[in-house]
Amino acid sequence: MAIVLLVMLLLRVRDPVPGMMGKQATVEDIANKREELGLNRPRYVQYFTLLQQMVTFDFSQELWTQPGMTVGELLRKSVPISLLLTLPALFLTTVISVCIGMISAYARGRLLDKILVFFAVLGMSISFLVYIIFGQYFGSYQLGRLVGQPVFSIHGYEPGLQNWAYYMLLPVLISVIVSMGYNTRFYRAVMVEETTQDYITTAWSKGASTSKIMFVHMLRNAMIPIITRIMITLPLLVTGSILLERFFGIPGMGDALLSAISNNDFPVIEVFSSIFAGLFICSIILTDVLYAVFDPRVRLQ
Amino acid sequence: MLSRFLKSREAKKLFRDKSAIVAMVVIAGYLLVALAMMFDVVSRDDCANVVGPNSVPGFFLREEPERRYEIARTSLFGKVKRALEKSDPEAALAEVQLGKLRVADKTPAELQAIVDEAVAIQDQLKEAESLDDDPEMLSLLETFESITAELVAPLSGSDRFMHGVALLLGTDAQGRSILFRGVYSIKVAIQIGVVTALVSVLIGAVLGSAAGYFGGWVDALVVWLYTTFSSIPNLVLLVVIAYAFQATDSDVKDTLLPVYIAFCATFWIGTCRVVRGETMKLKQLEYVQAAKTAGFGSMRVLFRHVLPNTSHLLLINFSLLLIGAIKSEVILSYLGLGVKSQPSWGIMIRDAGNNGDVMTGFFWQIGTATALMFVLVLAFNILSDALQDAFDPKHL
Repeated sequence: MAIVLLVMLLLRVRDPVPGMMGKQATVEDIANKREELGLNRPRYVQYFTLLQQMVTFDFSQELWTQPGMTVGELLRKSVPISLLLTLPALFLTTVISVCIGMISAYARGRLLDKILVFFAVLGMSISFLVYIIFGQYFGSYQLGRLVGQPVFSIHGYEPGLQNWAYYMLLPVLISVIVSMGYNTRFYRAVMVEETTQDYITTAWSKGASTSKIMFVHMLRNAMIPIITRIMITLPLLVTGSILLERFFGIPGMGDALLSAISNNDFPVIEVFSSIFAGLFICSIILTDVLYAVFDPRVRLQ
Repeated sequence: MLSRFLKSREAKKLFRDKSAIVAMVVIAGYLLVALAMMFDVVSRDDCANVVGPNSVPGFFLREEPERRYEIARTSLFGKVKRALEKSDPEAALAEVQLGKLRVADKTPAELQAIVDEAVAIQDQLKEAESLDDDPEMLSLLETFESITAELVAPLSGSDRFMHGVALLLGTDAQGRSILFRGVYSIKVAIQIGVVTALVSVLIGAVLGSAAGYFGGWVDALVVWLYTTFSSIPNLVLLVVIAYAFQATDSDVKDTLLPVYIAFCATFWIGTCRVVRGETMKLKQLEYVQAAKTAGFGSMRVLFRHVLPNTSHLLLINFSLLLIGAIKSEVILSYLGLGVKSQPSWGIMIRDAGNNGDVMTGFFWQIGTATALMFVLVLAFNILSDALQDAFDPKHL
């Protein structure tokens, strides 16, 4: 709720109507438009109206930039696209970086570990933008020239699963590479913490095999931090990768939000931010539930 | 206090770490450069001025013949030629300049002769289909280049040196020096990084320790505040705040203030959370109880006894936030919401993207920005790792 308030206040810093009406608008025109959009009501009334709309899932406001299209339609259009981009990315990132983190923790202090950590730090130090620009250049442009036909799309999107690889695979890969550094380091730290625990020593002395210790004992016990990590990133799934969507011309939620911001499209910004907030709260609740599933010691009350 | 810090076991551990030392040296180097920029070694004007033909590669590399012809044709030669055609060649020639380069001190007649000679060669070059393979054409091109070079007044002493330095990493699509712009951006990045990291750490420390120490409604308020802020994706909040400022018509939007505020509003959260947890832990310790029993006021206990003991966390957070600020600055500037009216790595990367530099394989601009940023961020990453290892080894 507070988020809605915050966003609303931030947006009210400037009166958006004159910008929307263009330079020819007279003072009366502007006043009329304000009345029509309900912007001249007291702020708390606006706030509660917005809140009510959020709670009842009423997304029927029209877009300012495209009359006739409601925010709900925009959401229905952009959310699946964003999810198609971010879900595979999250899945791949988590699986790969948990594995690398485990290998690194297992080889702690040895050369392999040092190399992996070094590459993780190296990967963290390059700007996201650079990954995207060079990924786009080498991945779609140069590779396309090399093969003779376009392998990955440079810009644009078409719906349909058969087109997924063409439009989405490259952004997904880039996003995996970008988040790899952070995640690998994090999971390594988690795993290193686990290797010092007593139950690992017990498992060794029982004669369990290395792979069993790593994948059964350790992975299960490291589940809590892993879940927390994934849950934190969950709301970001829907926002998508704003930059990736921008670059590759994928009309997902991040792209919609960004163009709404640059076009002063009020309803979109308000609704989208509120949705993020709602998702955030949901993901916190979900995290607690999953804790109980993976760690029987945690009891839901 | 500083000497006590330097003698502490943790600090010694830090200074034993070789990579940390290297990182600190690198960061010190960057700081020196930033300081030099403060004293206008490279001023903002230097970054905006045209120093040579556009898109020249760095390290004075020779280019493809086609491109060399293009550069020789479009630099001073073209301008001199046009000036000579005017009714008052003397006055027109005096105005001709390309960065610091001016027309050689010769009479219009002499210049005319050179231009005529060059035009003759140019005609031959035009007829050639490809300049790449033909050795005859290549030698012609070289004569063309040397003839057009005669039009330029040779630079003397420091000017010549500065011109060379400016062209060291080539020029961008507007003929501005990439090196100057890249180096000036160091100052911008460090300025933003230090200011936002400092302010965010301060806000986070004060709010976090107050919440942890007093509990009750203070705690509830602070926790509510940071959950609110953290539930909006970082980038979205940054963009919205930057946007809100952009909307105001004051002079503020041309300064760095919107960027500072946007960053501080999002960055204090992490510090606040960590400090709150640490304060809650410290509050239970005997020495705090003792200080309370001794009758010290809660402010004194908080600021003299509790906060100093979280300083290691503040240091680590400062270093982490600096990285975050530098990286986010680049992204915001790239989106056109961050730094304006002065160069920044984000703007350089954006320019490189927009001008099609990347598509034509001209990597000097984006490469410079990336490399400078990469080294700085890498150094800070290594340093914060070392800090974390030394001061807070249990951290995940």
